[in-house]
Amino acid sequence: MVKENAKIMVHVENLKKDFDKLEVLKDISIDIKEGEVVVLLGPSGSGKSTFLRCINRLEEATSGKIIVDGMDITDKHTDINKAREDIGMVFQHFNLFNNKNVIDNIMLAPVELKKMTKEEAHDKAVKLLERVGLADKAEAYPSQLSGGQKQRVAIARALAMNPGLILFDEPTSALDPEMVGEVLDVMKELAGAGMTMIVVTHEIGFAREVADRIVFVDGGYIVEQGTPDEVINHPKEKRTIDFLNKVL
Amino acid sequence: MIQIIQSYGTMILAALGQTLILCLLSLLVAMVIGLIFALLNVSHNRGCNFIGTVYVDAVRGVPLIVLAYFIYFGLPAGMKMLGAVDFRLTALQAGTAALSMNCGAYMAEIIRAGIQSVDRGQMEAARSLGLTYGQSMRKVVLPQAIKTMIPSIINQFIITLKDTSILSVIGFPELTNMGKTISGNTFKSLETWAIIGIVYMVVIVSLSKAAKRVERKLNVGRL
Ligand SMILES: Nc1ncnc2c1ncn2[C@@H]1O[C@H](COP(=O)(O)OP(=O)(O)OP(=O)(O)O)[C@@H](O)[C@H]1O
Ligand SMILES: [Mg+2]
Repeated sequence: MVKENAKIMVHVENLKKDFDKLEVLKDISIDIKEGEVVVLLGPSGSGKSTFLRCINRLEEATSGKIIVDGMDITDKHTDINKAREDIGMVFQHFNLFNNKNVIDNIMLAPVELKKMTKEEAHDKAVKLLERVGLADKAEAYPSQLSGGQKQRVAIARALAMNPGLILFDEPTSALDPEMVGEVLDVMKELAGAGMTMIVVTHEIGFAREVADRIVFVDGGYIVEQGTPDEVINHPKEKRTIDFLNKVL
Repeated sequence: MIQIIQSYGTMILAALGQTLILCLLSLLVAMVIGLIFALLNVSHNRGCNFIGTVYVDAVRGVPLIVLAYFIYFGLPAGMKMLGAVDFRLTALQAGTAALSMNCGAYMAEIIRAGIQSVDRGQMEAARSLGLTYGQSMRKVVLPQAIKTMIPSIINQFIITLKDTSILSVIGFPELTNMGKTISGNTFKSLETWAIIGIVYMVVIVSLSKAAKRVERKLNVGRL
């Protein structure tokens, strides 16, 4: 849901990322507006995860520029921890803190980073659990949850910091098929509420329904991008067509 | 046998006390040393890794007895050359230093392995929320690492307890040293060393039994 004169939330300019000799991202430039939902498609190994991880500097860009909400992520002088408070991330394998129960998973960062008092963080966590439909699981430990429940807690944990942007790296790939829907529903609700989201997923149905824009990456470049209708129904590039033939 | 226990029993217990003090002090210091060098070893800074590896390799490469001699005799001699004539170490100080350095090196490896056994995603999730490396270690990684480390730490505890006997060579009045004194006085080597051996065994076996129980409790709490 992009507003008329929305500001640029993510600005990526000539991003290049190598792992030693392997050139994963060769030259990526993209602007993402506040409230926009961008779905990233691409074959395995095309660097989708790497792209997301460069945005919150879990990986350091080899060259190029990344600006998120006015903060220069690629500048060494930027306080990356401060910047990350504004960039949520949801992982394929959930990565809930195994030593903490659900409510403490959600409260840890806001309290530890002094964003909120314990009471405020607790209230917020309770509200977020209601929002993702897990109000009754506050005291459960991650090992007691199903995959779908874990991922919904992980989303709540990311939301607790009030981020301006959330990165999703294949949030439903590790789930049993019957649990995919419950996670996608939470993400749809988030998109509807105006959250800026970059989503790597193979769920074409979700992309078609929720994405404002679909970006297809391959070989280290953005091959094609546009509305879901343009990219999924009327792809122009051969590589996009081949890819869609495989996943559809 | 009875005679020895009658005349030397309290002294043997006192020596056991010294052994335990030496062992506990060393373990405490070793935990700190181990944590520091483990953190150096898992850090992403090459310089830190280098320092960590050098320490662990160096200390593990020197027999404890040589390390003890070096600290107890060598260090004061060295200080004298530097002009500090009054520098002296008590046997307890030197013994604790030698044992902590030695045990600390092994502890560093145990803690390193524990940290590395925690899934990388835990650290990444913590960092992605804006927590610093230190906060992520303290709140997320180390608490999980400790659970996997406990059996090895207990094992190391027992090894260190046995290693205290090596420090009889610098005259520290611990259990083995007491054995030497008694057998020297009474000429009853067989009985003396049997008693000393049994005392060690009783302490170590009960410690490891207690440890097993703790370990089992932790594993239950884990689910
Ligand atoms: N830390 C790393 N060190 C070395 N190579 C890496 C590293 N991370 C990723 N790569 C390599 O970079 C390439 C892109 O990986 P990436 O995980 O970004 O792909 P992806 O598009 O997310 O793939 P998938 O759909 O399988 O998740 C792969 O060839 C991968 O092996
Ligand atoms: Mg990936």
